[in-house]
Amino acid sequence: MSTKINTFKRTVQSLQIRGQQTKKASTPKAKFKALWMYLLLVVFLIISVFPFYWMFVGATNDSSKMFTNPPTLSFGSEFMTNLTNLNESIGIARVMFNSIFVSVLYVVIALAVCTSAAYVLAKFEFKGRKFIFTAFLLSMMIPYQATLIPLFRMMSDLNLLNTYFAIIAPQLCFPFAIFLMRQNFLAFPSELLESARLDGASEFRIFMSVVVPSMKPALAATSIFLFMTQWNNFMWPLVVLNENSMYTFPVALSSLMGLSYIDYGQVMMGVTLATVPIIVFFLALQRHFISGMLGSALK
Amino acid sequence: MKKLFGMIIFVAFVLVLGACSSDSSGEGDSGESDSGKEELTAWAWNINVPVLEMAAEKFEEENPDFKLNVVEMGTSDVYSKLTTGLQAGGKGLPDIVLVEDDRFQGYINTFPDAFANLSEMGFDEQKSKFPDYKTELLTKDGAMYGFPFDGGPTGVFYRRDIFNEAGVTPEDIKTWDDFIEAGKTIKDKTGKDMIGLDLNGDDGLYRMMLTQQGTFYFDDEGEVNLASDESKKAMEITKELKDAGIVKNTVGWDPWISAMTEGDVATAPSGAWLYGSITQQGKDTSGKWGVFKLPAFEEGGNRASNLGGSNYVIMSASDQKEKAYDFMEYFSTTNEVQVEAMEGGLFPSLNTVYDNEIFKQEVEFFDNQKIWEMFAGEMENIPAVNYTGDYAVAKDEAVKAQSKIVNGTPIEEALENAVKTLKNRTQ
Repeated sequence: MSTKINTFKRTVQSLQIRGQQTKKASTPKAKFKALWMYLLLVVFLIISVFPFYWMFVGATNDSSKMFTNPPTLSFGSEFMTNLTNLNESIGIARVMFNSIFVSVLYVVIALAVCTSAAYVLAKFEFKGRKFIFTAFLLSMMIPYQATLIPLFRMMSDLNLLNTYFAIIAPQLCFPFAIFLMRQNFLAFPSELLESARLDGASEFRIFMSVVVPSMKPALAATSIFLFMTQWNNFMWPLVVLNENSMYTFPVALSSLMGLSYIDYGQVMMGVTLATVPIIVFFLALQRHFISGMLGSALK
Repeated sequence: MKKLFGMIIFVAFVLVLGACSSDSSGEGDSGESDSGKEELTAWAWNINVPVLEMAAEKFEEENPDFKLNVVEMGTSDVYSKLTTGLQAGGKGLPDIVLVEDDRFQGYINTFPDAFANLSEMGFDEQKSKFPDYKTELLTKDGAMYGFPFDGGPTGVFYRRDIFNEAGVTPEDIKTWDDFIEAGKTIKDKTGKDMIGLDLNGDDGLYRMMLTQQGTFYFDDEGEVNLASDESKKAMEITKELKDAGIVKNTVGWDPWISAMTEGDVATAPSGAWLYGSITQQGKDTSGKWGVFKLPAFEEGGNRASNLGGSNYVIMSASDQKEKAYDFMEYFSTTNEVQVEAMEGGLFPSLNTVYDNEIFKQEVEFFDNQKIWEMFAGEMENIPAVNYTGDYAVAKDEAVKAQSKIVNGTPIEEALENAVKTLKNRTQ
């Protein structure tokens, strides 16, 4: 979703530039071209927004309404019923708390871990630096299914099953986040570090007061990635959690899937509720997000 | 400054760890025998959860030190967690797990020590209370490893309104050939299709027809059995249905259900549990439904089959097996509990319960037909079939073969190919 919005934004930006140009040379031909561009954009807009619209429609309708022919496309009156039923099934407040707590905690710790690692890999010369960095990147190629059972054994031996810690621990060092941050650190002028050192600042102080404050866009972009990863994480929490009261959103929603009957009103309501925090988080950070992505790309 | 940062990070860390452990303590899995804590844990999915909880409450009245914690999860999630736990050597597993019929033998073959031997604990005495097809399914090397629970006796659910409009009487449909003829009449008179099938995605009908003839994907020796005569016959009927132009291709579960509730197709052969789905999704179609037994392959042939159903197992890794056994024996052999299951939409396989009035009542939704009596009468005639081998892979190949057959590949060729690929994939 985020990438979709991202590309969409970029297209809009380029279109705005284009629009200014056409204003200058407002020939009929250019106008015609712009019209096509807008039409195309409207089509893309509908394609990307419709699933969300359908989700809201589903959340306000009875389950059986979703499969009529022709499909129901208007909002129904079952909003409260679905909300109450869903609350009875999974306990919305508890699940929402679990998801937010786990995701935020994860973002905070993982960001600290990955940023420090990336900084060292970008700005310090030492033996084996390249090797370590390559190893991080290669580890992205290991499918998570391969690590599932060993990790599960480990958590079980450490008696950590069914804890929040077990959910976040295995992914605290997130290779893609390290990669993204490293690319951004590379762009940071080493001369600044030198002069800070000459002024007698400690390495930790340089990192916290000189480097990190100028990295806000990159940090925002990385946070969104980490947040999304944890928010949508399904298989691992499913495997390590053994209590309904510990369930996060994806796991709780999956528990609604029965054999012969699924109440899609409840499911859509759940999905709607699960989407809201991501949208909020994204909107809060999106200004930084795009510049953070571009920052690493332009380097 | 440096010290301050150090302090902050330290405090944050302590808080984090504190938050983690305070939430986990006291909620750990029951396998850990904390002193005094004797709670049992069970994994089950949606409509099974209230039945289990109600039974646990009743059981608790007479056994005050008993306590059951039911963890609700999606059907496929149960298998993900069960497989992970077993592969990790029996870690993080509950005491009691619900497992479907067609999954049970796969587990017991891959993990022979996973489930507790119930015969050793005395379950053989209760064997006669269940249909043979269930007890045979749950037996390995002469010992039982599961408590039979619900079953899926099959029937053809049909729309009375469509049948009446076309002037077709369900009593006349005795064989699959009759079924196809009736389908043609309905198509002519009403323009509606006889049956909804997911021809390229599911093989439910094929599986029902295999069970009806007493065979399945694999034979008793565990050899691939897709090219058997029974399998060919089943595929032939499927192809004839398609060629007669009376099949609506419904992709996925929900379109299939809604094709029925919307009145776009006339019949749906399925397990008794379909009752729950159509009564909930087709609330305004009450009285328009009926059920008749699956048509036979030849006049007078077997019309009983099974689709779906599940069983409870006790995990060997549990350290409270005796307790779990006492409860599950109570659960599976007490009429009161099974009637409750029935009311919750699960058709019990315990045969002592069929005398209960609930099985004799007229069902309004089905125009006062005594549908439960029909299903209950079927149970003893359901052939026992073999579910060994890799069910998921075999199903995949069967669906592919079916898809090829309805698209014109000769039956023989498609099935022989399926056998070959399946052998390769399961070696």
